[in-house]
Formats: sequence, structure tokens, C-alpha cells
Amino acid sequence: MIKLDRRAFLKGAGASGAACAFSGGLPGSIAAMGAEPLKGSATAVNSMCEMCSTRCPISARVVDGKTVFIEGNKAAKSFGGKVCARGGAGHSLLYDPQRIVKPLKRVGERGEGKWQEISWEQAYAEIAEKMQQIKQQHGAESVVFSSKSGSEHGYVFDLAKAYGSPNTFTHFSLCPGAYGVAAQVMFGTKVKRDLGNSKYIINFGHNLYEGINMSETRGLMKAQMEKSAKLVVFDPRFSVVASKADEWYPVKPGSDIAIALALNHVLIADNLYDKAFVERYVAGFEQFAAQMRDYTPEWAASLTDVSAKDIRRIAHELAKAAPHAVVDFGHRNTFTPEEFELRRAIYAANVLIGNFERKGGIYAGKKAKTYNKFAGADVAPSLAKPGVKIPSPTAERIDTYDKQFSLVASMGGVYQSILDTFETGKPYPIHGWIMARTNPMQTMTDRARIEKVLKGLDLVVACDLYISETAAYADYMLPESTYLERDEEIADKSGKNPAYYVRQQVVEVIGDTKPAWQIFRELGIKLGYQDYYPWDDIHTLQLAQVHKDYALLKRIKTEGYVSFGKPLMLREPKMVADFTAEFATAIAADDDGSYGSHLKFKTPSGKIELYSDTVEALVAGRGNIVFRDVTLKQPDELYFIQGKVAVHTNGATHNVPMLANLMSDNAVWIHPKTAAARGIADGDKIRLTSSAGSEEGKALVTKGIRPDTVFAYMGFGSKNRELTRATGKGIHCGNLLPHQTAPISGMCVHTTGVKLEKA
Amino acid sequence: MNKRYVMVHDENKCIGCQACNVACRTENDVPDGVARLQVRVEGPFGEMPNLHYSYARISCQQCEDAACIKVCPTGAAYRNDDGIITINKDKCVGCQYCVAACTYKVRFMNPVTRVADKCNFCTDTRLKRGEQPACVTVCPTNALVFGDANDASSEVAQIIATRATYRDKVHLGAEPRVYRIPAKKGGIAS
Ligand code: SF4
Ligand code: SF4
Ligand code: SF4
Repeated sequence: MIKLDRRAFLKGAGASGAACAFSGGLPGSIAAMGAEPLKGSATAVNSMCEMCSTRCPISARVVDGKTVFIEGNKAAKSFGGKVCARGGAGHSLLYDPQRIVKPLKRVGERGEGKWQEISWEQAYAEIAEKMQQIKQQHGAESVVFSSKSGSEHGYVFDLAKAYGSPNTFTHFSLCPGAYGVAAQVMFGTKVKRDLGNSKYIINFGHNLYEGINMSETRGLMKAQMEKSAKLVVFDPRFSVVASKADEWYPVKPGSDIAIALALNHVLIADNLYDKAFVERYVAGFEQFAAQMRDYTPEWAASLTDVSAKDIRRIAHELAKAAPHAVVDFGHRNTFTPEEFELRRAIYAANVLIGNFERKGGIYAGKKAKTYNKFAGADVAPSLAKPGVKIPSPTAERIDTYDKQFSLVASMGGVYQSILDTFETGKPYPIHGWIMARTNPMQTMTDRARIEKVLKGLDLVVACDLYISETAAYADYMLPESTYLERDEEIADKSGKNPAYYVRQQVVEVIGDTKPAWQIFRELGIKLGYQDYYPWDDIHTLQLAQVHKDYALLKRIKTEGYVSFGKPLMLREPKMVADFTAEFATAIAADDDGSYGSHLKFKTPSGKIELYSDTVEALVAGRGNIVFRDVTLKQPDELYFIQGKVAVHTNGATHNVPMLANLMSDNAVWIHPKTAAARGIADGDKIRLTSSAGSEEGKALVTKGIRPDTVFAYMGFGSKNRELTRATGKGIHCGNLLPHQTAPISGMCVHTTGVKLEKA
Repeated sequence: MNKRYVMVHDENKCIGCQACNVACRTENDVPDGVARLQVRVEGPFGEMPNLHYSYARISCQQCEDAACIKVCPTGAAYRNDDGIITINKDKCVGCQYCVAACTYKVRFMNPVTRVADKCNFCTDTRLKRGEQPACVTVCPTNALVFGDANDASSEVAQIIATRATYRDKVHLGAEPRVYRIPAKKGGIAS
């Protein structure tokens, strides 16, 4: 909870006064360089937010050369023209005196905080030389590349490929990965939730009212407001979503899977499942059903602290609302080593109620190619992939050294395998790490181990906006322009129908920063890969994307967000009827009015796989969805769980002045009984100690948490000197979480045991 | 005065996300350390599992009977033709009487301009341009509705007519014009 008291209202929540000694002297910062008044367009520019990874369509306007007012782009209906606090604070990041706007070279020890301003030319030349040297001595594969997914990762990963390293990683395995891998295995594609049209929603700690994803957050509210949807939340903590739920169960951390399995049990045992759907579209039902037999609500009750009666009733209610009902499969709740099974168990419940491609259920995104096939006409333009095909490196990836992670490898990789590989030298030693806009020291686990890795490499390069927790250990810091200062490629935002939007420059660049596409292109050319960069600037790229259709490009740029056709869900007769009425050339509907006969799944069986031979082949015994007991804590410990808050994003925004002012600290949620037993009062200094590390913070004594659990919002408690508004404030979650990788999904684990004491 | 601008804050839909707070700062150039608007999340109240939070909008209540206007010696605190209470910066002498007198304790001294400041329904920024107030524009869950309650067809008039609303500290007699739809345990009520 963002705690704003009466005093804070008048004084502001602190951090502004702390804009500290360091900022004036930090080389390469806006403070050191000085900054001109903002120059930008007087009228609003439609663009794309980047304060979190949702990337909402925005409309931004420079006000009096002083600031940028940001609101949502109303053309994007499901986003409703809205932005969250982070999105609205983009100008505060843009103009933060502590932002780095000049390339830096480390001059002290790694992490010591001694930097020197250098030119881009020098940075490229020195980095390229070092990279060539490593390649000659150890092979290109010994340099790993990581990037946040989205606009940058393509450029970073192209450079990796050109250089010859297969080792590219995104944030995937650190947070959103498991439901992606599980969907790939079961449906052969990613799936989306149609929350806005749902009438019954079961939520396992997907904190949509705090970890805001604008269109989904609005969808959930729309379902609650307009469809009178019932919302059932299982979460050890009384989150904002829990506070808006019809029913909240403070489930035992890590036991969500037992509930999901028991829901499946009841749906099958009480004959509530959609037999026609299962028969037509599902493979492996028999193995699955046999396995579910033991997972009774009574069994689940003993593990979860949720009564069997409630679980049974909820399963019945879910079935009654089917197919316009959904068991939400995302995002962060208590991550355990059984992540893959949890997400599959949740998907299975959705499969059993036959909600696939139904309103209020789950569905697959429809890009132009698919959509046009149904329409029998070119309703939506498709984007070209411009550029030169770069040959794939031949070396083996470090994460597929353990074959069970081969599914993840193609999706974003097992990021934390960098730590293992560094230690074991298997399959080969690593020597360099090049990263863009990623902050593993906050978002991965076991901070101490990451520090060791970074200190032990021959080359560390970070491209970022600030000297982030991780960038503090780099040899070279390459400052990227903020999203308000750069143009980018057109992005696909297709949902039920195709849609595109684009990021556009709103203000002139402050200082000497560059967009990522330019940084990695220029570095690539320095390394001698000019053949892979046959384009000069982003406009050439954009034009190639739209097949030189100037009018289309102009439309996308002016409107900012363009949606084509009508929403389509293949098994929703009304939507199919509207679709066929709209497009004369459309494929005819089946007898039942749906496009059900066109539903294909890109799995080995061509069906939804409740049992997977592919997975069984990777790890024997994992083909079926099975419950496995995991030990998350010792008897004398408390569960430690973490989550997101509405005003910050992962490890990225805690130094942004306006957001730091709103919240700069993460007090630890402790139940009154638990606190009393240790003589802890609200606001007291406390210490948490886990197998990975120890953190000192403040106590927030609250009834909104189970007595056996403590909770903290993530991303706080930075330890490097450069992030002066964030450093030393609150506890650092990554310093408490042990390094452990979940089978198959490759996820890191976000739940552990901690000892709590008064500090 | 034929207009009666009011704000409705649906605490039932509010998620305490502070998007409104941030938008207000940006649009109205509110400096660090002070705020025209906060949404304060307090609680949880009750006993597990029947807990609830309160989501309270803390901002100028645009009182019909405004103490700040009464005490202002220079006429800097005044009411517009449309009924909105705002501040004439040139007339403000910084005596802080209004800050002390405000029934809801939401007036403050702006550390940059050195005059009294508070929410004025964006009267000289967005309203002037014919736009909705900044906080209303960005609110992710549409928890804020602004408009003229004297216009029976307006959304605010309809909400006030059909929904159970309350206003803060009405017993003090200031007649605030911020209406609230209470959040209650047990899901969202439409
Ligand atoms: S949710 Fe907020 S931060 Fe994220 S993209 Fe949307 S407006 Fe930006
Ligand atoms: S923006 Fe809306 S939901 Fe968020 S705190 Fe303000 S009123 Fe509440
Ligand atoms: S109406 Fe305008 S001044 Fe008042 S709180 Fe909202 S944004 Fe701020």
C-alpha cells in the first residue's frame, strides 16, 4: 500500500529534499552537463509509453517548454485514453538531473562509482576492440547479451548474432515466463485473457489493480462494473485486487497449485466440464483426468487453508458461468519451483470450461495474416521484417546445456543461467556481458552472486538511462535517449483484430544520448558488420515495414494507434456473424455459427495438450500435470513474498523524482500477531534474513497479510551509490531470494523463507 | 451563478494508483513536497478475511460556504462566475489565513510562487481549454467524474441522483462539492 499520511500530504513523501550531494558531481548526468529548456512540438504527439512493459498508446504535449503532459491516446479503445502514475511521470524521468546523457567509462573498480565522460566514438572503439579480443581468445559465444524485451532487444540480439553469440536473454525467466512456456506447450501459442467480457474471474494473485497493465486493468474493472462479474482472489496478502474482490482467500503461499488442481478435480468429478469441447479439441484428457482423481478439495484444503466447501462451490460457480468465465493465468503471485505445473493447472481449468475463443475467456491474438485469411481479403496490412538475415551462430546456448530448458531458450532464455555458467564454466566459460535496459540485480535473485559474476568478467557494457543497480558494475555506460526523445519501428498491438502503433519523438534529445537502434547499429558497424545494417535511420526502416505505403505510415504516425477490422473470436457466434456480415469474402461460418472447424493448435497433436509428450521427453514424469510438494521455508521461518506497486516498475523507476516522491521505501508487511511475538511495532526497524542474504527495513504492521508470511513491494533498496533517491531505502528483494531455477519453465523463484527480527 | 461544478470520486472503483495525483502535478505545475491532490489509501479495517481499505480523495472540496474566502483579507481567494473557488495570485499576500481556515486542510503555500494554492478544478489550465480536469482525464478506472450538477443531463447529476453518495464532514456545514461513492467489502458495485 502506498502510505500517504497527512504529514506527507503537506510535506511530500520525502525524497525531494534528498536530491543530494552526488547529483551535482555525477559525471555525464544532466546536472553536470546542464540542460536547455525542452524543445518539442506544441501540439500533442501520439506515441507509446515506456514507463513499464505494457507500452500504452499515449499522447504527449510539451507545456511552456517546461514539461510534458502525457495522457492516453483515445484511439486505443481498450486503453481508454488513460495513463497510470508511472506513465504520467515520464517527463520527470526525461528531465531528472541524475539521468546520464553522456557515455561513461569506468575509472575505479567495478561498482566503485568512479566514472569519466567519453565520446561515443571512443566508447564504440574501445568496446569493439575488447569484443574482438574476447572473440579471438575465447569465442564469440563467451559473450552473453541481455535486454529488456520490446523495442531494444531486436537490435541487441541482432548484434549478438552478427558477432556470433547465441546467448541472448530477456526478462522472460525472471517474471512473465512460465505462463508463456505453459501456453506454448498446451496451445502451441501465446494466449490472452478477455477479462472485460468475463462474468466470473478467478485470480491467483494477479495484482492488476497495482501492477497496472492498462487494458487488462480496465478490462477487469469493466467486467466488475458492467458485467457484474464475480471476482474471486487467492492471495496471501490483502492486495488492492483482493480489496475489490467478492471473495478473498488468504491462501498459504505457494499452494495455489493445489487449488487449481482441485478445481480441475471438481470440474471432472462432478461432470461440469465441456465434454464436446474436450472431445473435439483436447489431447491427453485421459491421463490428465486420471491424475486429477486424487486432487480433491479436501486434499487441497489441508495444504492451502481454503476450505473444501469453498473450493467445490467456486468450481461449480465457474462452470455455471462458462464459457464466459476465466481463471486468470498471470502473473506474479508466489513463484515456486513448480511454476510450470501451476500455470498448466490453471490453463487446464480454462480448457475444461471450454472458454477458448469465447467472450470473457481466453483467446489467441490475431495478426494481419490470420485475420486476412478469415476475411478472404486484405483487411489489414501486414508489416514486413526489413533488414538482412543474419546467419544463426552455431555454438550451443548456455541454457540448453540442460536440455529441459530448450523450450524457454527459444522464448527469452533462462536469464539466470548466466550465473550458473559463470560458476561451472559449462558448457564453456563466459567472459563478457552486454546489456540494454535490463537490471538483473533488482529483477533476478541472489544479488550477491550477480555482483560476483559482474566483477569477474572481462567486459561489461550497459546501455541505460540511469546508472542502474546493475549498470553500476559496467565498464562502459551507453546512455540511451528516453522514449520521449526517440522514434522507433512500428509495433504490432494486435488483439482480437490487427492493430499497429508507433513510438515517436516528442521532444528534442537532451544531452548526448542516442536511441538503442542507433547505438547498436553503430557499434555493429564499428565491429565490421555494416552489411547487416543496410538502412541509415529509423524512417527508412519504418517505410520498409509498411512496404513503402506512405499513406499508411502517415496514418499510423498521425493517429498513433490504428486498428483494422472488427474484433473476432473464433468460437463466438455473434462475433463471427458480425465478421461475415462485414466482409463479403469472409470464410463461411460452420453450421453452429462459429469458426470452430478452423481452430488449429500448433502442438505436435494439433490439439490442446493436457498431457505433453514433448515435455515428458525433456524430463521423465513431467508430461502430465502433477502435484509436487516443495519446501519453501524452514519451520522457524516466515514465507517471504513480493509484488508490484502502482507507482513503480520492477527495477526501473525508483529513482524517477516524481515517483520517488510518491514512494521511496517499501516497508515490510507483518501481521500484528507475528510482530507482537517479536516485540515489533509499526514503523520499527526490522531485519529479514534468508539463505541468500540479509536486509534491514521498516515494519508495516498490518492485518492484510497472513501471520506466517511477510511481504514487500519489489525494486527498492538499491545498493549502488549512483541512484541517490533509491539507494539504501527499503529492502532489496533480490538480496533475499535464493538462486534457484524451476524445471522446464526455467523461472527464477520469488518465494523463500526468512527470519524476522527487530533490528 | 448557473453552474455548479462538482467532482464525483467513486471510491468503489478507485484503486489508489495516484495517476490523478501525478497528472495534476504536471498539468498545474505543482512543485515537489506539496500536492493539490492525493488519494490516500488507509486500512485495512475489519477482521480477516472481511477486510477493507478506504480510498479517500484529499483535495479542495470546493465548498459552497467556503471558510477560505471568508477569511482572505485581500480577496485573493475568490469564487469564479462558474462557482469554482480559485486564487488570484497577484492579490495573495501570503498571510496563510486561508490555509489555517480551510475546513478540509487542503490549502498549502506553494514554495515556488509563495502564494496559497489548492485544487481549482483545473480552471486556468484544462478547463480554460475546454478539457476535462487532468485527474479525470487519466484515471485508469474512470473513478472520477466531473461536470455541472445543475445540468440534469450531465453524468454527475445522474450519478448524484441515482447512486448512494456521501460528502466529507458535512456536519461542519461547508457544503463541499466533492461527492464520494463509498467502497465496500464485497466487490465492485455498479
Ligand atoms: S501501464 Fe502506465 S507505465 Fe505502463 S505503459 Fe501504461 S501508462 Fe505507461
Ligand atoms: S487515478 Fe483514479 S483510481 Fe487512481 S488513485 Fe486517482 S482516482 Fe483513484
Ligand atoms: S481538478 Fe485539476 S487541480 Fe483539481 S485535483 Fe484534479 S487535476 Fe488537480
